[in-house]
Amino acid sequence: MYGWIWRHLPGNTWVKALISLVLVLAVVFVLFQYVFPWAEPLLPFNDVTVDQGMAAVR
Amino acid sequence: MTLRGRTAVRWTVRTLSETCLTVGALIVLFVVYLLFWTGVRADSAMDGEIGKLRHQWATGETTGPGGTPPPDGKRAPGRGPTRDARPRPYTAGASFAVMHIPRLGADWAKPVLEGTTTGVLQRGLGHYDRTAHLGETGNFSVAGHRRTYGDPFKDFPRLRPGDAVVLTDGATWFTYRIDNRPYTTLPGDIGVIDPVPRKSGFNGPGRYLTLTTCEPEWGHSHRLIAWAHLDSTQPVAQGRPSALTG
Repeated sequence: MYGWIWRHLPGNTWVKALISLVLVLAVVFVLFQYVFPWAEPLLPFNDVTVDQGMAAVR
Repeated sequence: MTLRGRTAVRWTVRTLSETCLTVGALIVLFVVYLLFWTGVRADSAMDGEIGKLRHQWATGETTGPGGTPPPDGKRAPGRGPTRDARPRPYTAGASFAVMHIPRLGADWAKPVLEGTTTGVLQRGLGHYDRTAHLGETGNFSVAGHRRTYGDPFKDFPRLRPGDAVVLTDGATWFTYRIDNRPYTTLPGDIGVIDPVPRKSGFNGPGRYLTLTTCEPEWGHSHRLIAWAHLDSTQPVAQGRPSALTG
């Protein structure tokens, strides 16, 4: 997978490395901004209330 | 083994390793997100809420119900029929008070927001919207994260009877005193935030406060509860209460 991506990036080694870095940062950004905030409420650390809050939190 | 077979094996092993590496990296990133990033976000959100409140109070607008109640808590007669006797409702999702608990740290101060939804609890402590308002007869109940999102109630089990829980709505300081060691209960036990909380040892109407968080620290099987009663109030103009300065 990673080899395939590397082979399909344009430019010489330096350009490829730079593009890879940008891609990695973009993936991390998307994870922190969208994926993890969505996944996090599915885990138990959010359940701190004793009533209907539960339903909203879970 | 034929050349083709070897290529297939190599491809399989490589894909498997890449998948493992990717999943590993994802897990590490998620842990970083939970332990570090939610804290960074929550701390800045809470500081922002407190700053907003202090600014509001400095410009003369209090968030408290109907201004300053007298120290004995009773509404003064003769306040005039033009004043609305009912407390001003809190706005859902908005902060209206700051809580200090010296036991959790001399500089431990968190905003209290209206509501207990996920989004609210990411920006501070959440007031159960069906419970009493600050300082009123009834049970002013507040929930907070034990872990993640700034760990506001990380040291909850260290609370002891007599510990002060001090709140201000910009007009009045309310000093509550804890009455029990943290009590462990089940998530469905909503009696703990009743106006006279069940099993708290309180046996009549009064001005109570309930704090709830999760138990165990990283789990959600139980809840940890602390109850307190209103010990004293004083106008903000008289300075910080002794529980904070002493």
